[in-house]
Amino acid sequence: MSIRGKLFRKSLSGVAVLGVAALALTACTTTGSTDTNTDTASSGGTITVAVVNDFTSFNNQTPQANLDTNGQVGYLMGNYGSAFSYIDNEFNIVREEGFGTFEKTSDDPQTVTYTLNPENKWSDGEPVTADDMVLAWAIGAGYYNDSTVDADSGEVTTGTTYFEIAASTAGLDTTTFPEISEDNMSMTLVYGTPYVDWELVNPIAQPAHIVAKKAGLGSATELTELLQSLPKGDAANPVAADPTLKAAADFVNTGYDVTAFPTDPDLLVSSGPMVPTGWTPGQSFTLERNEFYVGGMIPKVDKVILRVIPDANAQVTALQNGEVDIINPQASADTLTALENTGADVLTGDQVSYDHLDLRFDQPVFADLAVRQAFLKTVPRQQILDSIVTPVNPDANVLNSQIWVPANAPYDDSVANNGSSAYDEVDIEGALELLAGATPSVRILYNTNNPNRVDEFQAIQESAAKAGITVVDAGSPDWSSLLEGGDYDASLFGWISPGVGSTGIAQIFSTDGGGNYNQYQGTNDDAILTQTTLDPDKLIEIEKRMDKQMFEDAYGLPLFQAPGVFGVSKRVSGVEYMGNQTGPFWNFWDWSVNE
Amino acid sequence: MVSFILRRILVSILILIAASFLMYVMVGYSAQPLQDLEGSNSPNKQQLIDARVALLDLDVPPPLRWVLWLGGVAKCAIPFANACDLGSTISNAQVVDILPNALAATVQLVTFALVLAILLGVTIGIITALRQYSGLDNTVTFVSFFLYSLPVFLVAVLLKEFIAIGFNDFLRDPVIGTGALVAIGIVVGAIWQSLLGGDRRRRLVVFLVSGLATSGVLLLMSATGWFMNPGLGPIPVILLVAAIALGAATLLAGLRNRRALITAGINGAIAIAAYFVLQPLFDVSSAGTLFILAIATIAVGLVSGFLAGGYDRGQNMRVGLVTALLSSAVVLVDRFMQSWGDLLAATNGRPIATVGSKTPGLSGDVWLAGLDTFVHLTLPIIALLLISFAGYTRYSRAGMLEVLSLDYIRTARAKGLPERTVIVRHAFRNMLIPLTTLVAFDVGALLGGAIITERIFAIPGMGSLFNAGLFRGDLNPVMGYFLIVAAMAITFNFLADMAYAGLDPRVRIR
Repeated sequence: MSIRGKLFRKSLSGVAVLGVAALALTACTTTGSTDTNTDTASSGGTITVAVVNDFTSFNNQTPQANLDTNGQVGYLMGNYGSAFSYIDNEFNIVREEGFGTFEKTSDDPQTVTYTLNPENKWSDGEPVTADDMVLAWAIGAGYYNDSTVDADSGEVTTGTTYFEIAASTAGLDTTTFPEISEDNMSMTLVYGTPYVDWELVNPIAQPAHIVAKKAGLGSATELTELLQSLPKGDAANPVAADPTLKAAADFVNTGYDVTAFPTDPDLLVSSGPMVPTGWTPGQSFTLERNEFYVGGMIPKVDKVILRVIPDANAQVTALQNGEVDIINPQASADTLTALENTGADVLTGDQVSYDHLDLRFDQPVFADLAVRQAFLKTVPRQQILDSIVTPVNPDANVLNSQIWVPANAPYDDSVANNGSSAYDEVDIEGALELLAGATPSVRILYNTNNPNRVDEFQAIQESAAKAGITVVDAGSPDWSSLLEGGDYDASLFGWISPGVGSTGIAQIFSTDGGGNYNQYQGTNDDAILTQTTLDPDKLIEIEKRMDKQMFEDAYGLPLFQAPGVFGVSKRVSGVEYMGNQTGPFWNFWDWSVNE
Repeated sequence: MVSFILRRILVSILILIAASFLMYVMVGYSAQPLQDLEGSNSPNKQQLIDARVALLDLDVPPPLRWVLWLGGVAKCAIPFANACDLGSTISNAQVVDILPNALAATVQLVTFALVLAILLGVTIGIITALRQYSGLDNTVTFVSFFLYSLPVFLVAVLLKEFIAIGFNDFLRDPVIGTGALVAIGIVVGAIWQSLLGGDRRRRLVVFLVSGLATSGVLLLMSATGWFMNPGLGPIPVILLVAAIALGAATLLAGLRNRRALITAGINGAIAIAAYFVLQPLFDVSSAGTLFILAIATIAVGLVSGFLAGGYDRGQNMRVGLVTALLSSAVVLVDRFMQSWGDLLAATNGRPIATVGSKTPGLSGDVWLAGLDTFVHLTLPIIALLLISFAGYTRYSRAGMLEVLSLDYIRTARAKGLPERTVIVRHAFRNMLIPLTTLVAFDVGALLGGAIITERIFAIPGMGSLFNAGLFRGDLNPVMGYFLIVAAMAITFNFLADMAYAGLDPRVRIR
């Protein structure tokens, strides 16, 4: 009996174990969904674009998140460069009137009115109103900041910086608190001093109702009321920070920085043509069409996927293998060859960044105009172009203007008159004549880690030697920190031309401009004048005058625009070349899938 | 023993701290995190520089900044406080948040590559040692040195070109040409005849049979559209499982051991039964289900071996375990293959991927997801494998040859033990001892050393993190990478020392 009982107990416990196991097994099963494919039912299809860097933030306008991929996502989401207007690939500002309109109603004082399309909604269904524009203005203008920053540590010593932004507050900083219309659909900005780039102001950023919620306020209107009640900040007389505005600003500054796809849907609210729907960090970012968007940039495709592929050759093979449809790799002759072998469409063109040689006017060797001219005459610009750019972009030409790139309309006219033709060919004879027996020595600062700059330096060194000019290698991997106050006579590096707008001009060509490392003073008055000139024709006239003046003074020489290359799969059409940071995304609404 | 372990841990921590100081200071002085801003023509350049300096404490010189950084790291030692602070990147992401993702991606990649490299490398090393100076041995020696000398970026490009793009193009019209069939048959035949050896006649027979069989099967696969709709089907599953059961019993116990044969037979039968019975369960399976089934498989293998009894139960359990695991793998592979059609549909008919570790936006059951991971990781794993496995073949071949020449092996043979027992029981185990050190080194090295592979295959792992950080002059992610990799290297070296003492009674730890 006892044996039977033992056996019985044993088998019972065996059954119990089996039962538990079966239970666990059923608990661990799925419902057996048959819906396994990606969404192939919808009509527009999916386009995958390779990007080099991963996404880091839904707010690309902060100093830490101002990166190419974030900007491109921002462009698709409508919070950066695509609400009231966008920039096309010929660097025209194209107004997007389906979203809203803006016009300058007065020149003195400069007054601009923005009116939204009342149909506009955020992707969570809330309407887009003037509250959103006021918030964007408050962020962009730095109106409430009253901080003083310690130059060494970068820490704020007194007062408060509310919204931290990557862009400059210049321009908007002279505006007064905007006037809001009765229907809460339009906003009027009055500038204290005229602002040349007013058309580039795009007053849509983060959704005011979300920012208000995160700051503990009830609605967007309450946020506007709060902003209205606060005085303009004055760094000389800092006051205690407003806690609510500070909370709102902190959310805008860092609340959008993410390391995984947010569980909080508030971060995904967008006013633009697309909304984010997924992100696998380091791999892919997915956006889908925003059903609430009423503007003109409605995409034909249902889904745009950004695929992170850092390596240029890996981008080419991924394109060839059909994993991505559009690539924009770092351009090199090898990449171009590989790309041409894939059978994909290849688009080449100029980028907005350009290399240039600048001479320092405060160095004794360049005090004399003849020496400057002689040195510039020896610079083999065509040879440099042929060795660096032509292999990638066979149509490239030497850049001949300090102000414009060839895509800008005034470029040709300005080049014909600015005197750049004196430097078209290397002129050793002419240089020797100008030097009249002198054998100056020139130290050139450049980035030794950049092979292109090294090539440029060597070409210049070799050519200048023929005219008796000794070019000394002052290159350094630390070149950027040496630009200001380093020990050199000339520098070789790149600027990024915005392609559109004129704020960069004062920055580089005015005497006190932060980018004027050359102590050049010849165009100071004109450069400052450009910033307040509202008449476009007059502006071009001033800029042409500056362009000419700089070649007369032998300021330096622009060399070439960096080449760019896109590879586009045959299954996609509508992609066009664009040289600025938006890259292939600039006309995403024209993309379609051929099938 | 305990004092040894404590001493080692203490010394390891000190080494880690000192090494982190060197690394921090060297990278800190050479990195230029402000370069992109200093060369910018933005009107508010200074303000942007201030913001970054404030974010990353760049005004503090690197040796002092290291102290600040170490203070944050020290908080990791507080248990359960979740207070770890490894600093943030230039784009304001906490390193603590991005490290786990990167680590997971690398571990996923490296584990498979390492396990496969060890299995393949050791097996091939032993086989070549047993057939020393044969055609096979010479060929494998040549091939492994050839692979050993190849740079990974070249291997990667070749793999992408031929295996990914080539195979995907092949899938558009999956018919193998006659020329290719003949060539494959000849190569396979040549490999088999040299593996099995024997006199000339036997070699010729092996060559013909294996070559023709391979070509025939391929012809059948290509004619029936197998590549578009793959699967093993009941008869191949039964045959494969039977072969596995027989093989495991032969290799581990010898065919004369009836109990082992019974164990293998039981496990094979259970696997075949499971193949027919469990299909409905597989259709609704999640990863959890598979985990439970894996545990059940292991239990069945061990228990059946134990119950089969006999004087060597341990041996039976091993036979049972190996048979159970391998034959259930066959059943799983068959089920994974059934999801191939879904994967083809989701990838526009081009399944083998060259970048990333998953298809964006793909949602599906565990089978589809598993297959998707497989087609993404195949190429990087092969790239890592081809290079690291070469080393293992060399070490295991040399180790086997050395052990086989020892006196105790001659004694074993002299007392009449079968060759199988001599190799598997006596030689094989002792040969493995030196390999433990190698494996331990490789785990540490592979975790940090897949930088190029990760870049070429766009896998966001530790190597990518390090590379991107160094490129931008972003010190904190670089240090996060360093911390993990250095800790791993130290830990695994420590484990190797311990394992050595455990495996080899001649080694003592004090």
